[in-house]
Amino acid sequence: MPIGNVQPSVRPARTGRTDGAAGATTRRGGARPRRGGGLRSERYAPYVLVAPAVLIIVLLRLYPLLLGVNFSFTGDGDRNGVAVGFDNYLELFRDPLFRTALGNVGLLVLLLPVAVAIPGLLATFIYLRVPGHRLYRGVYFFPAVLSPVIVGAIFNLLLAFDGPLNSLLGAVGVAPVDWLGDPDLAMFMVVGVHVWATFGMGLVVFLAGFATLDAALLDAARMDGASLPQVIWHVIVPGLSRTIQFVFVTTMIGMLTSMFGLLYVMTSGGPEGSTYLPEYYIWIQQGQMNRPALASAASTILFVIMLVVGLLQIKLLSRAGREA
Amino acid sequence: MKQRAMWSAVLVVGLALTGCGSATGSDPSPGGSADKLVVWDWKSGEASAAPYIEKAKADFAKKHPNVPVEFVAQPFDQYYTLLGAAIQSGKGPDVILFNGGGQIRDRVDALVPLDEYVAEDRQRLAGWDAFTKDGKTYAGPVTLQGHPIYYNKALYEKAGLDPARPAATWTEFVANCAAIAKAGAKCFALGNKEGAGIQFWLSGLGSGILTAQEYDNWIAGKRDWSSPNVKRVFQLWKEAGDAGLNNDGANSTAMFNDGFAIFQSAKAAHVIGLMSDVGHWQDFNEFLTADKLGVMDAPVVTAGTTPSLAYDGGIGYGVAKWTKDPTVAADLVRALTSTEALKAFYTGAGAIAADTTIDVSQGGPAVATIVSEIKSGKPALHVALSSKTLDLMGRLSQQLLSGSITVDEVVKQLAASDQAG
Repeated sequence: MPIGNVQPSVRPARTGRTDGAAGATTRRGGARPRRGGGLRSERYAPYVLVAPAVLIIVLLRLYPLLLGVNFSFTGDGDRNGVAVGFDNYLELFRDPLFRTALGNVGLLVLLLPVAVAIPGLLATFIYLRVPGHRLYRGVYFFPAVLSPVIVGAIFNLLLAFDGPLNSLLGAVGVAPVDWLGDPDLAMFMVVGVHVWATFGMGLVVFLAGFATLDAALLDAARMDGASLPQVIWHVIVPGLSRTIQFVFVTTMIGMLTSMFGLLYVMTSGGPEGSTYLPEYYIWIQQGQMNRPALASAASTILFVIMLVVGLLQIKLLSRAGREA
Repeated sequence: MKQRAMWSAVLVVGLALTGCGSATGSDPSPGGSADKLVVWDWKSGEASAAPYIEKAKADFAKKHPNVPVEFVAQPFDQYYTLLGAAIQSGKGPDVILFNGGGQIRDRVDALVPLDEYVAEDRQRLAGWDAFTKDGKTYAGPVTLQGHPIYYNKALYEKAGLDPARPAATWTEFVANCAAIAKAGAKCFALGNKEGAGIQFWLSGLGSGILTAQEYDNWIAGKRDWSSPNVKRVFQLWKEAGDAGLNNDGANSTAMFNDGFAIFQSAKAAHVIGLMSDVGHWQDFNEFLTADKLGVMDAPVVTAGTTPSLAYDGGIGYGVAKWTKDPTVAADLVRALTSTEALKAFYTGAGAIAADTTIDVSQGGPAVATIVSEIKSGKPALHVALSSKTLDLMGRLSQQLLSGSITVDEVVKQLAASDQAG
């Protein structure tokens, strides 16, 4: 998405800015002597130089985007190519399945703090050198290198009705649960597996954040007799506020854009359509139902959602930058 | 400031273009390559289909020795998505493999009617209906796909039932199920994770529930969703679930192939399976042995009905609109459905071929029963429904099993979806 490129999400600002300023000065210095002669060609030179980049962005990013938005206002099947106004959007919002998909996006947002807290807490323990922390550092990151399809297949086996988890529950006298077959549970299971599979990335970012934490503060807090929860709450969390915000944003984007593989393998959107996400809905409408225009409308809505998330991201990060 | 200007420009251009063009490409330009035919399918990559492709190629080369044929095997998961993209661009393969029913009917805009080219094959091949829309045929059938009810004779014996005489009525069937449950097995192996279980249920049992008149009307598109017999289909689905006739966790069991695996491992005595490709007699023979695998008629639910085998054309080849010379492409379709080629397909891939003149006596009693019932068979009920209605039916069937919806509500929603298109 263009937004993500405009504003780099990590900004170790000061060094970068001095470099840029230095470069600009040199360039200005070098240009001055030639100013009298090649004025006209000089005026167009910057446009020519940026043209390739602009053309690539316009042709490969903005044009397809506009085309998609445009298609969303046309019809499918018999009405192919006919302008239908907002019909597709009306149909989407009348479709209970699409509403479920949007509702699930809301659920993901609600579950976000959990998805951030898990790598945060585990990184804290590793930072505080719990016994075996070197092993855990490797083990926690391991699932992040597995493809979602493999992760999905593994958990399909584990969570099957006659699978090992239910056998384990049976051994302690708990009735079996249909983990992926119960519409009230399935979405949580898929999100849980997604968090399990991806929290390694957040963990690494947290560990990098810890590297910048002032160890003297921790020692001072311990000296003053602060308990572990107090150390976490009053020293670590404030010290890592920018890292936490960064992990929040990247985890959110990861949840919204990369759960397709898991959904496809684990639940196929079911049971009862309870695990649909907009991405999956778009795929079904385009590939299975032959409704490309409706899929375009759903894509446009997903794009707007991502745009809002992206803008919030910029706002959040720039505010964090100002505070720091 | 600049950014704002750019976004306004984007907005203006966007609004100016809104509603122009189309999402599926309005006027496909001729895009088939000039000197060769490209075939898209999801079969030709499999080793078991190799003899079939060889035979068909040889047959085609007799007529058109100078036209090379290229088979492009696409992954089935992505097949219709890729095909959709090809149709949108108006370019792509000349000859296309399709599933019968909704998948081809939704895409006939991109195909050439084949009636004039395949007239000679009409009698020899079965299953044309699944490739027909509004009286025009769009593909030549390769295999037949249908929904026989398979049963495990070994489990019947264990339960003290006569394996040669499966239940003829629903009451008798439920009584047999009780005996089978006592012997430690479930009655039905059911995988309904994809929502496909209800489709098989509808087509496998429908001929014993709907009257002949209702059945024909259904296929002809005059579906009376409020009729008591149609309701009965969903009522029985719910009752079977509530009474524990199905394996546990049906809603989280994938039909392909966990559902079939339950039947193969003798944990359930019946399964409504397929005739071709997967979940069929050849797969089951392998696990249960040919002697122990039986095929039964649908039990009679509504007195006076005559159960029949539900089948349609399974897969078939169609010709794309943008191909250079439809006659040559149609000849390739005919070569792909020749008796020789289909015989190779039956032997290699274990499919019931569309050509009913092929001898199947080597395949065991189950396949012999199936082939003998093709003559009296009827199109499958679920194939007549649109993919949208099938998708909805899948989700509603899961709700019926979990008890979160009533049968009345189900038929109401399905009627609305069916009438909408």
